[in-house]
Amino acid sequence: MCSENHAEQAQIIIRRRLCSPSFIFSIFSDSPNSNYRNYVYIPLSHYYADPLASLYFSSHHFTFSKLKYIVSSSVTEACNNSVLLLGPRGCGKNAVLELVLEDLSKEHPDLISVIRLNGLLHSDDSCALKEIARQLCIEHQLLFSKMASSDDNTQFLVSMLQECGFAHKTIIFVLNEFDRFAQGKQRLLYSLLDAMQSVTSQAVVIGVSCRLMTSDEYAVYKVEPPFDLDADQLLEKRIRSRFSHRKLVFLPLSPDDLHRLLEHILLLPTDASLPHDYVAAFNAKLLHILADEKFKGLIDVLSYPDSTVCDLSRFLFSAVCRMDSNPGFLSLENFKAALPSVQRQPKMGGLNDCSVLELYILVCMKRLEVKELELCNFNSIMKEYKSIHDTFQTSDYYAWNVCLRAFEHLLQRGLISFEDNRGHLQSSEFRPVKLLISWQELQQGLKSHLCCPVLLHKLMDRGN
Amino acid sequence: MSEVESPQINRRTTRSSSSSSTPNAKSTIEASKKVDITQTLSVNDLLYGYPSITFGELIDSFPGRRSQINELVNHLGPLNSPMIPLFVYGGPSTGKTNIILQIFRFLNRPFVYASCVSCYSPRLLFESILNQVFLHRKHVGNGYSSVKRCEKPSDFVHLLREGLATLIESLKGQMRKSSHKKSSSRVNGNMIYLIFDNLELVREWEKSSSTLSLLFNLYDILKMAEVGVIFVSNASPDMYQSDTGYAEPFPVYIPGFTEDDLRQIFMRNQANPKLYSSFLDMVLKPFCRITRQVDELATVFSPLFKKYCEPLDDLGAVPNEVTKRKLFSHLQPCISLYLNEASSITSQPLVMTSVNKERTWRKGITKKFGDESLDEIDFHMSTSAKYLLISAFLASRNPATLDAALFDSTGGPDNRKRKRKSSEKLMEQKESKEQELLNKGPGTFPLERLLAIFQCITYVLEYSSDYELQSGDLGGEYCGSSFMSDIVLQLSSLCSANFITKGGSCPLEGSIRYRSTISEDFASKFVGHSTKGEAMEQRISLEIVMLA
Repeated sequence: MCSENHAEQAQIIIRRRLCSPSFIFSIFSDSPNSNYRNYVYIPLSHYYADPLASLYFSSHHFTFSKLKYIVSSSVTEACNNSVLLLGPRGCGKNAVLELVLEDLSKEHPDLISVIRLNGLLHSDDSCALKEIARQLCIEHQLLFSKMASSDDNTQFLVSMLQECGFAHKTIIFVLNEFDRFAQGKQRLLYSLLDAMQSVTSQAVVIGVSCRLMTSDEYAVYKVEPPFDLDADQLLEKRIRSRFSHRKLVFLPLSPDDLHRLLEHILLLPTDASLPHDYVAAFNAKLLHILADEKFKGLIDVLSYPDSTVCDLSRFLFSAVCRMDSNPGFLSLENFKAALPSVQRQPKMGGLNDCSVLELYILVCMKRLEVKELELCNFNSIMKEYKSIHDTFQTSDYYAWNVCLRAFEHLLQRGLISFEDNRGHLQSSEFRPVKLLISWQELQQGLKSHLCCPVLLHKLMDRGN
Repeated sequence: MSEVESPQINRRTTRSSSSSSTPNAKSTIEASKKVDITQTLSVNDLLYGYPSITFGELIDSFPGRRSQINELVNHLGPLNSPMIPLFVYGGPSTGKTNIILQIFRFLNRPFVYASCVSCYSPRLLFESILNQVFLHRKHVGNGYSSVKRCEKPSDFVHLLREGLATLIESLKGQMRKSSHKKSSSRVNGNMIYLIFDNLELVREWEKSSSTLSLLFNLYDILKMAEVGVIFVSNASPDMYQSDTGYAEPFPVYIPGFTEDDLRQIFMRNQANPKLYSSFLDMVLKPFCRITRQVDELATVFSPLFKKYCEPLDDLGAVPNEVTKRKLFSHLQPCISLYLNEASSITSQPLVMTSVNKERTWRKGITKKFGDESLDEIDFHMSTSAKYLLISAFLASRNPATLDAALFDSTGGPDNRKRKRKSSEKLMEQKESKEQELLNKGPGTFPLERLLAIFQCITYVLEYSSDYELQSGDLGGEYCGSSFMSDIVLQLSSLCSANFITKGGSCPLEGSIRYRSTISEDFASKFVGHSTKGEAMEQRISLEIVMLA
């Protein structure tokens, strides 16, 4: 009973940690160790007029200190600054940024006010200006008027920038989902950056975006002028000239960092309410698992396709959820069981749920695909289905209507889809369709299916 | 009365009473009756079902779902532990929503439920969630208005954060109170869960991508550890596309039922289990080859079982081998019929937006299936409308170049001569045309062409009825050009019945083009059902169909 209670508490502690990005990334803020400061620096100053233009591919550690340096220089030297934080979704851009802001507001109390905008919510210009005004009012204890027009809000923004500039206060604009602001007229970005230039202000604009290069993200080391940074290229010329070309791109975690992160998240704290001997036993067992070659293999499999911290924490969360309350320790089996649940293959699940008739239709489509007909729709599938029936005299021959129903089930499952979204006027049997699974997937699905007729296997093998 | 006045509670009650797994649906209805409109809602109203169920009952009410329920309960975790967003997906009628709701009934944790079926636009979705978070109820006093008017996502997030903060605060207060003394609250923990059901429908909304990325990123935007987000969807996660992407929620797949599970499900709540089991022995296997969706099977099985029981006098009797054999031979012919006809009953919304009217027509047949045979069905449609429909069908299926050959009185013989000359070539041509028709579907045609064909057909009809000396007054009605306005009216009514669809206007001519949606099968049956004295016309149209 007692150990169950401890196990539950331990589980809650680790779940809390996994759900709070600021905890996960806090290891990158403490004790800047020079070993972890790996980065690649590409100066861009000769491509742009801006002498500060640069591109860093850097570890979380380096990004943290670099970002802190940029923002704090703006605070101490009373100048404007702008920077783009780029990286795949879930790599911790926001968390690192929040840690930097937290640190700075401790170092310079009352000198910093942060305005946070999100491209998903405030991509509308007037809405964004309103939100800026609202947050400025809250920060400076002013009365916010809901009725103020867009022009009023712009005016208010300019005068606030000026006032804060005189008072040596820094306003930091965090533009999350930066690419969303770069859609349409980009009026917000223009008015913001223009206001910063025209008055003596002291502001920092930090854009956060997960839109990276169109080509492979990390192959850029070899690409000569890395111009094709997407979020940046979306900007209009008048804005680009006002925006500094300083970009911090997050690198995936190094194996050392990964290991430290795992320990950071999973090891229980000794100072918590849990009894000392339980924590010691838990941690000892965990360190044993982390050192295990099999566990390292699991992590390799996980980080093979992509390895953002978000993916890792999802995996760990799933493993922790599986923790058995009786011994109350994490086991290697928990991690093993967690891996397939993170790496689900939705198509295979859908294939296993198919009825025999639906499998017939899929095989017919695959055969048509092999024949390379220019167009495939329900009627041509039915023709193929009929020809199979004529040759082999199957017991599974159903009426047109029943097949159409099965066809619609397949559409619903996402195993097939219409070629285009046009032609809504046509009825579904005439609209061209395409198969969304490969030959291998279909073959594997047939094999794992519980009651797949032998004939279908034969047809698949023959077609190949 | 109370059902109208308490829509929120009513919703949950109907849900619970509709599910067969809740033994205490009655008591929830009683509880909802006690609610007075003036009484404000409390956090207790964010719970589902009363009294709660045990874990054993939860497992028992969902056959074949033990591992999924375990996974979900583990993911929700112990009391007051945060969770990363959850994405529950699986085919229709696999029990996704019901499992989630019953799990919450077992856990007694407060949640906010919004289905994208009833909340069919962002505004309705936002307001429905806010109403529940602010414990607001629509009633006569406030003119059935929502707590806040909310259309923009930014306002939604702002208000939601505010509402959730106060709600969580009050939950925490209650927790503290209940630790001192036993309070009236049944609520467990201080987590609030947001459940979005039928998420796949959001993909078809206007601005779907921005709404979807908002919902998927909601957890990250709110940054509140006490909030859990659960999505329930028909479509798998890879079927959601978004230009900004999103932090993927944790997927849990609810697979379709196996044949054994289905047997368990259908055997529940049966009056005579032995009889039903012998019935299932017969029907389950063949029908499972077509579909394994519970809802579709249930609609087929209920009339079949009635049919199965027909020879029996006593429904309570345990069948022995002899009666089983008798019943088997009685049902056998019905099974194949139902296999090919009855499964066209559509219980799910069709994928197509422009629903083929024919399907609804067929549905009508299957409903009446027991009493009437296919041939006896009559169309309640005026004769001119029938002719119009046939002309539309002809115009859709035949290329315009063939019209002259078909309807010109001298065209017919010529055509036949050519056929004799190079029948092989013609056959080839015919095949390729058939292929084209299969691929392209019915073509479009302008109004003028339709009217011309209509004129031709009615002219032939009049001619033939004169020839056969039948009641001329019937035929004479159609050919007069003074009825043209009437015909245009008929056309519009056919359009609204979805027999003919109005296409976009042709870019060259600028006139509206039409397309007939009826199938060949339907048309030929239809011609067969036309009133007497149209044998000639019938032959013509069939010939044309053959030609195409």
